[in-house]
Amino acid sequence: MSGTSRAQLCFLLLSVTALRGHARFLDIQDNEISPEGLLSLLSSELKRELPEEFVYRRALRCLDMVAIEGQFTFTAERPQLNCAVFFIGEPSDIISIEYDSVNIDCRGGDFIKVFDGWVMKGEKFPSTQDHPLPLYKRYSDYCETGVTRPIVRSSQNVAMLFFRLHQSGSSFTVTFRKLINPFPCNVVSQTPEGSFTMIIPQQHRNCSFSIIYPVEIQIGELSLGQHNDLKRSILGCAGSGDFVELLGGNGMDTSKMYPMADLCYSFNGPAQMKVGCDNTVIRMVSSGKFVNRVSFQYRLLGHQELQQMKGNSVEDVCLRA
Amino acid sequence: MKPVPLVLLITSVLLTTHVPLSTCRPRDLNLINNQLDDVLLNRAGDDAMSYLLLYLQRNLGAQKAADVLHLPHFSTPQLRSDNSLEELTEFSKRNDDPPISIDLTFHLLRNMIEMARIENQREQAELNRKYLDEVGK
Repeated sequence: MSGTSRAQLCFLLLSVTALRGHARFLDIQDNEISPEGLLSLLSSELKRELPEEFVYRRALRCLDMVAIEGQFTFTAERPQLNCAVFFIGEPSDIISIEYDSVNIDCRGGDFIKVFDGWVMKGEKFPSTQDHPLPLYKRYSDYCETGVTRPIVRSSQNVAMLFFRLHQSGSSFTVTFRKLINPFPCNVVSQTPEGSFTMIIPQQHRNCSFSIIYPVEIQIGELSLGQHNDLKRSILGCAGSGDFVELLGGNGMDTSKMYPMADLCYSFNGPAQMKVGCDNTVIRMVSSGKFVNRVSFQYRLLGHQELQQMKGNSVEDVCLRA
Repeated sequence: MKPVPLVLLITSVLLTTHVPLSTCRPRDLNLINNQLDDVLLNRAGDDAMSYLLLYLQRNLGAQKAADVLHLPHFSTPQLRSDNSLEELTEFSKRNDDPPISIDLTFHLLRNMIEMARIENQREQAELNRKYLDEVGK
């Protein structure tokens, strides 16, 4: 086959694929095209469904944390009355939980509930101020809606499953998937070190980035609004519709944490702060009039640094420096 | 290739390819957040008339909806409004449910996240190895 006619044939194949709409099944992640992706050009198989042998499977424990996509089964060997499974993804993921097969006794008091967020010691992340849905809508009960709506999606990179099984032999299987979120708002960081850029594109909402470690934060760039309003009062950020605040606390609920600093002006160039709390949160409040953006890095505070901060500080409230 | 056969080929390709509209619908109707809307839409199906009836009934009440559409009042819309009432009572029951929580320290939570990350990285490495083996064949 000559070069030109081969090129024309490839072009023809690509055009036919595009016109038939099958190109939407090509899923290129991290710049790698898998053989399955190449083969699925010629078939109608959804690329998002991995072939059977590549699906990760394991048993679920009564208290568990899952960060990997796959199929998880819990089988009750004895009555399990208080179980919780935490799901976490990358900052730019949202979680999708699908009930595959459920064998529980709803009338006997068994339940499986999905919560849109994390709950720990009664405190919820994201807080009720930061989450788009009211509290009762964040719980999704299998016994009520699981059969008609077998797929539940979270609004951020964390979700939880609560369940109670009274009889031994009851079981259920769920498939956990991670989907892409182009504008992540409300994130729990998996690591004590990293960097992130939070963008709120003209939306009236509040977004929190939670790092459950004592860290030093370095804010590289903050862009609030389109122009710097120098006539704004310097009495803190009260009254400003768009600002970023740094919170520290010992719980998950951002509305119960202590403000460590707040920033209402755009700037370039690093500003750093050490927060010696169990949970450090960068929270951006946005009025919806502008595109707001904050870029920051964070690193774990060493034991010695924490001791030094404790020595320097008189206050009992989480240490700051 | 000569221009005329090329034009003919492209024309025939364009005429034979056709993307049916049903493929572009969202994968599941779960994208709609309001559960009541969801229930109503599922029951209405593709019948625009029955959907209109349900919409009017929900907003104006069953009797008025029938009057607006000049329809004789029959029993099936009544049944549907009873089901909507059930949905509302379920909503109020769910509001009364105490939120469940779990007592974990941050230390334990951090360890669990670390273990989950190690599991994820190990499996991702396995998957990458399998992909490379496939491509290398």
